[in-house]
Amino acid sequence: MSPKLKLLREVISNIFSRPATIQYPREPAAVSSEYRGLHYPDLNKCIGCSLCMVDCPANAIKMVKLPPDYTNPKNPRGIYPVVDYGKCVFCYQCVFVCPVKAYITSNKFDMADYVTHNSQALSLKTIRKGDKG
Amino acid sequence: MAKYVEVPVGPQHPALHEPIMLRVKLDGEVVEGVDIVTGYNHRGVEKLGEKNSWVRDIYIFSRICGICNAVHAQTYTQGVEKLMGVEPPPRAKYIRTIVMELERIHSHMLINAVMAEAIGFDTLFMLIMRDRERVMHLKEIITGQRVHADIHIIGGVKRDLKPETAEKVLRVLDYIEARLKHYKKVFEEDYTIRKRLEDVGKISKQEALKHSLVGPVLRASGVPSDVRVDDPYSAYDELKPNIVVRHEGDSLARMLLRWDEALESVRLIRAAIKNMPKGNPVPKAIKRAAGKGEVFSRVEAPRGELIYHIVSTGGPKPYRIKVRTPSFNNIVNSGFAYIGERLADVPVILTSFDPCISCTERVLVVDEKKGLRKWVPFMALSRGEIRVA
Repeated sequence: MSPKLKLLREVISNIFSRPATIQYPREPAAVSSEYRGLHYPDLNKCIGCSLCMVDCPANAIKMVKLPPDYTNPKNPRGIYPVVDYGKCVFCYQCVFVCPVKAYITSNKFDMADYVTHNSQALSLKTIRKGDKG
Repeated sequence: MAKYVEVPVGPQHPALHEPIMLRVKLDGEVVEGVDIVTGYNHRGVEKLGEKNSWVRDIYIFSRICGICNAVHAQTYTQGVEKLMGVEPPPRAKYIRTIVMELERIHSHMLINAVMAEAIGFDTLFMLIMRDRERVMHLKEIITGQRVHADIHIIGGVKRDLKPETAEKVLRVLDYIEARLKHYKKVFEEDYTIRKRLEDVGKISKQEALKHSLVGPVLRASGVPSDVRVDDPYSAYDELKPNIVVRHEGDSLARMLLRWDEALESVRLIRAAIKNMPKGNPVPKAIKRAAGKGEVFSRVEAPRGELIYHIVSTGGPKPYRIKVRTPSFNNIVNSGFAYIGERLADVPVILTSFDPCISCTERVLVVDEKKGLRKWVPFMALSRGEIRVA
């Protein structure tokens, strides 16, 4: 079959087939489990070494003091990273460089919102108040 | 001195978002000369690179270009690895090669789709872009994102290739190969495409060499030059890519050559997965300081030879990094290719070099005798309010 006829046949069959595009956000977008999406540090594991902050190419990570009622003996300096998702480029250098593999990763990508988000609330959920580590 | 009309094409284009401007000087319909104006997208990346550490710069330099990000990361990383005396494991080299070849396939599919759109064949544009998304998905399952691979790290890669992912890549490649062959045939045989591209923007072998054009533009004019073969890096010394060469030198040859190269990339990815060595490609620790020295690193990007010149005075940051991208050679030096062609062919010739630009909606009327230059809105021109005599 000549390519022109083949193309024509494809075009006609496309009229009757399901659209290739999806109606996001009404339909969920198919994202693989490998996708580099939302990530936040697990404070049970974090030792406050600040390597992720040093390597972040977008300066999206800031080291913040743990609130007074949260303690972790593995983290003597009592600091933990907060990722600013508005600045983050999702290169996952922080996830890669972390010596204790503290980052929890996900394939969540739809973070567009009217307010800026950071990882603080998510991270503080990982550790209980008054937890002794 | 002859009177001519100057039509500014660019710097904003509705199809491809590359801010560049062509000042086309017209005598009637025929192009008399083209001034290429660049500098609309200066972001100071080289200076930013000097201010950041060796590791951060991998991500900064890979963001120079969205399409060829893995190639930029490869050129930078292999240069830095040479400076630091680090040798990546063989498996890492193969994974890098697979990602770079996937990038070549989707880059070539993109520019062919854009070419189809530029000549008014929107159906073909949609079909190619739909199939290109499958390649992007492969990149996503290997690296984690469909555009920015970010898989390179000094001394290896950040993720290993899982066997089930490799199997999926092979499965999708079968589909992609069939589609690439089909699209190549469409470009070869379709009457409309041939009419618009054949013998348009012809560049002879001597002209291509004289103006130091690179990549597919050079190979379409009959010069067998490919860094992957001339100066093999990563796994290319073992995979032995074939150089695709065409001798016509016109826009059609450049587009067909890209289809052939994409098919060659499919073969290379299959060979890389088949011959992939075992071992751990992920480095345990990253080296963070380099000694004194300079390095010249080059890689065959989808658009041609990409060069990095890295200078180090020792320590945690580079002293200077100079980037020479292939598009710079191909676009800035290609003004001669438009002369004698029609105005309608200007976007086609430009697209065949693999960037893109546009027509803004006004023209500049130049009277060289009186030295007058006047911007005219397109609507006024179409209503016949302006006379160009």
